[in-house]
Formats: sequence, structure tokens, C-alpha cells
Amino acid sequence: MKIKLHTGLLAGALLCAATLAQAQQAAPAGDPKEAHKKIAMCEGCHGIPGYKTAYPQVYHVPKLGGQQATYISNALHAYKSGQRQHPSMRGIAASLSDKDIADLSAYYSTAAEAHK
Amino acid sequence: MSRLRTLIAVAGLALPLAATAAGNSANGKAIAEKICAACHGADGAKPVAPENPILAGQYNDYIVKALSDYKSGKRANPVMKGFAEPLSKKDIEDLAAWFSGQHSVLHFQR
Repeated sequence: MKIKLHTGLLAGALLCAATLAQAQQAAPAGDPKEAHKKIAMCEGCHGIPGYKTAYPQVYHVPKLGGQQATYISNALHAYKSGQRQHPSMRGIAASLSDKDIADLSAYYSTAAEAHK
Repeated sequence: MSRLRTLIAVAGLALPLAATAAGNSANGKAIAEKICAACHGADGAKPVAPENPILAGQYNDYIVKALSDYKSGKRANPVMKGFAEPLSKKDIEDLAAWFSGQHSVLHFQR
């Protein structure tokens, strides 16, 4: 009985560790402070309140402040690989390293609500 | 008389335009509760997984674009394609009206 319980606990702990390791591998830790040197290329569109794209479709560029880090990171990787298409985002994301993407995702997701 | 006629003509033109642009938020809420809330959370404000974006407070026209691109396949996402495909243009506008009017931590950030 005791042995069974211990085996169960061990299996659970191993599963947790494996899941954690996988999650960490998927998303390198981002540093919001590091992102300050990198946000210049984002600000031209995402840093202007109410900024709209011009061509071929007109719509507001999305709000990023407070958005989920993993979503932002996935979006940037998808632009970088070409899986998600947008001419300017493709160009910008292609210049970003995995660390850059992690830092920018951390920056936007943790940004305090100073601007509405 | 001619002023009245002009007024009526202007009102007749403006009303349908306004209705198209705004979308029906109440109808959007009804659709959202059925198909969006399970992943994006109630009101699109608290997604259940880190890879799902917050929708509450996002720009109306950006939500329209995202859903339209999922529907057409321009933005390739098997899960979102399944949800967006059955939506009409009006459903998309209604959903955008609903989510863009909700509150969340999402905000404009410099």
C-alpha cells in the first residue's frame, strides 16, 4: 500500500518535472528591462495611440500592453517563420533572435497600464 | 421643405452605415458565450491558456481582420479556422463589437 502510494507520488513528480522542463524549453525567460533597447522598432506603429495600417487593408494595429506573453511570442515566431503573413511584421520579426522575442513578450505582457 | 427633404435623405444614408460599422454587441455576446468563452474566458478577458490572446478591449477592426483572416485561411490556425469558418460577416462584426467593448488588462502601450 505504502509502496504503491510512493510510486504514484514519484510518477506524479516526474510528470510535473517533465512538463515544467518542456514549458521552459518552449519559452526562454524574457527580461522586460532588456526590451527597452529593442522597442524602438515596435513603437513606430504600436506606440502611436489609435494608429492604423494604410495598405492594403485599413485597421488599427493591435494593442499589445497586458497581452499574454506566450501569445505575443508565438505571433512573433510565426511572423519570423513566414507562417503568419504581414509584410512589415515579417521584416521586423525576421531580425529578432529568440531572446529578443522573449524580452519583447515579457515587456508588453508586464507593462503597467499607464496609457489607455 | 427642401431642407426637410435633405435631412431625411441624410438620415436615411447615415443610419444603415452606422449599423454596419458598429456591429450588434448583444448578438456578439450570445455567440461569444457559445464558442469563444471556453478558451478566451468570460468576456474574452481571462484566457484559459497562455497561448490564447486576451480579446476584451482589443480594437474592433483588428478583431474583424483577425477573424476574417482565420475564416479565409490567410491566417493559418486549424483551431481558429474551425470556429471562424461558419461565422458570417455580420457575426464577425457583432463579435468584434462585443469584445472591443469589454474591459481587461489589455491596453495601449508605448
